[in-house]
Amino acid sequence: MNVLTRGMRNAFRNQIRTFSIIVILGLSMGLALAMLVAHQAVGQKINSVESSVGNTVSISPAGSRGFEGGGNPLTETQLAAVQKLAHVTSLDESLSDRLTTSDTNLQSAITAGSLGQRFAGNSGQTFTPPAGFSGRGYQGGSTTFTPPVTVVGTNDPTNLANTQGGGTFKLTSGQVFLPTSTENVAIVGSDLATKNNLKVGSTFTAYSTTITVVGIFDAGNTFSNNQVIVPLATEQKLSAQPGDITSATVNVDSITNVDSVTTAVQKSLGSAADVTNGAQQAQTAIAPLKNIQTISLYSLLGAIAAGAVIIFLVMVMIVRERRKEIGVLKAIGASNLKIMTQFVTEAITLTVLGSIIGIGLGVVAGNPITRLLVNNSTSTATTAGRGGGGFRAFGGVRSGLANIHGVIGYSIIFYGLAAAIVIAIVGSSLASFFISKVRPAEVMRAE
Amino acid sequence: MLQVTELKKVFKSGDTKVLAVDDISFSVPDGQFASIIGRSGSGKSTLLSLLGALDKPTSGHIMVGDKDITKLRDHALISYRGSKIGFIFQSYNLVPNLTALENVMLPMEFAKVPKKKRQERAKKLLDQVGLKDDKQKRKPGRLSGGEQQRVAIARALANKPQLILADEPTGNLDSQTGKMIFDLLQDLSRTEHTTIITVTHDVSIAGKTDVVFKLQDGKLIKDK
Repeated sequence: MNVLTRGMRNAFRNQIRTFSIIVILGLSMGLALAMLVAHQAVGQKINSVESSVGNTVSISPAGSRGFEGGGNPLTETQLAAVQKLAHVTSLDESLSDRLTTSDTNLQSAITAGSLGQRFAGNSGQTFTPPAGFSGRGYQGGSTTFTPPVTVVGTNDPTNLANTQGGGTFKLTSGQVFLPTSTENVAIVGSDLATKNNLKVGSTFTAYSTTITVVGIFDAGNTFSNNQVIVPLATEQKLSAQPGDITSATVNVDSITNVDSVTTAVQKSLGSAADVTNGAQQAQTAIAPLKNIQTISLYSLLGAIAAGAVIIFLVMVMIVRERRKEIGVLKAIGASNLKIMTQFVTEAITLTVLGSIIGIGLGVVAGNPITRLLVNNSTSTATTAGRGGGGFRAFGGVRSGLANIHGVIGYSIIFYGLAAAIVIAIVGSSLASFFISKVRPAEVMRAE
Repeated sequence: MLQVTELKKVFKSGDTKVLAVDDISFSVPDGQFASIIGRSGSGKSTLLSLLGALDKPTSGHIMVGDKDITKLRDHALISYRGSKIGFIFQSYNLVPNLTALENVMLPMEFAKVPKKKRQERAKKLLDQVGLKDDKQKRKPGRLSGGEQQRVAIARALANKPQLILADEPTGNLDSQTGKMIFDLLQDLSRTEHTTIITVTHDVSIAGKTDVVFKLQDGKLIKDK
């Protein structure tokens, strides 16, 4: 038997005490592991959110929003400088226009209704309201008004964030044209396709040009499903607006850099553009997660500290209890190092056994605790945020926060065991210090 | 030869100083069986601690052979205790979760004796002190007081020490078992040519040793 075997055997001298210590350590380690799982899962979610949501900067011509306002379009030359700014990963550009019955043979899938008539009046298009209509914006004119069909020329056809309707792009048939295409091709919204009996391969007329449908998409909302999307170069050519851009979206590498990129874009484009970003709303959405991350970090450190204190006090108790035995061992030739090694081995044995229970508890409780923390925190944040209105694009983020799932892989188990060993060594090393203070003559005084 | 010269040990108790060992000088030739007698508090156990290098004297010298153990550093003292001295205690002080055999092997492990050799020697020593085979694998809790003291004697002999120090080795035993243990120690001092110094209250036992030192208030007042 060597010093290590003796240390391990000593851990089981008092079985009831050993069992109690292991259970207490197990609870401490389990809590530490659950907090580590929560911390990592929440951290990954924050990184994911920060790199995918709210990390965009929107650019519009100064004074213009969609088809409202006025001013002059931006140019590709102006935006080329933006593309070169630090932290800019990509730049989506679009040129939008509205096709009226004089520009296209397409019929809108949206009926005018009173809103359409009001908006048409406000936008200066002529129409005559139905009998009895006398609402705000009436300017008089034709009675055959139908809402126009929006056409968007873009270099990122699957990103509907560049369009007024938004939504999630889902190709239901055909294919998407290349971002750099110059062909007279289009993908059309599903409602517009149904209204005009369009299928992949069908053609329609716009700007007196025959355009071929290469794909049909569903955006999940009526407005976007009434749109036509064409290549940016095609739209610039057909609408006779070469190099013009009416909307651009700058994609930034991380939400943390959005503010600095916004400033840089404003500086680059000057008074020619209105530059906005949604970082603040995204930060608000992930604030609960950051709170959880902080709580889980402190809880993790607290649980590890508690484990270290437990093992330290246990080892102090054991050393005091075996003071006479330590004196005997020293008297028969054991060095301080040998005795310390024996006690550290005993502490490691207890801690590793506690860790096995702790890992089991961590595996079982890690995800439920993470979900509990996230659900409580996000529901509190949502309740608190209702009075201040909402930001549509981030509603989905908030609801998605609850779908956090911690993965307990080998790395977490490895970190858990490593933390346990550190706890054991730190906890027992101080106790071992007392061992070195025990003089072998103690054994004679106790006689 | 064990030679003690002008040995003093002072303990501080609050503001007062207690002279536990007061200027003691004596010598014990190799292979002799000596006893130290005296009342409680006379300094017997303190003297034994100093002789066994378990404690450091305030002044004076202890020569074991040609080596002054009061001048040894801590690391050398550990080695000295492990190889040159064997201890026997009144309450045996065996490690409770080790078997009798493992207890005897322990000092040899500290002296880095190979496992097989220490196993063989431990068994031989236990045979020598009369502990039967089946009891050699028992833990101390399942041995009688006399058997535990035999194991303690075997452990003290493990590294073939020059000097064995015994603190009341028969103090916890009945008179018959005590006599057996005393006879065993006396026999060992002759057969192994080992110097044995024992502290005892029992004047009849002390009378059978080669040398008797009587202590009173830390002073050596009589020797035979």
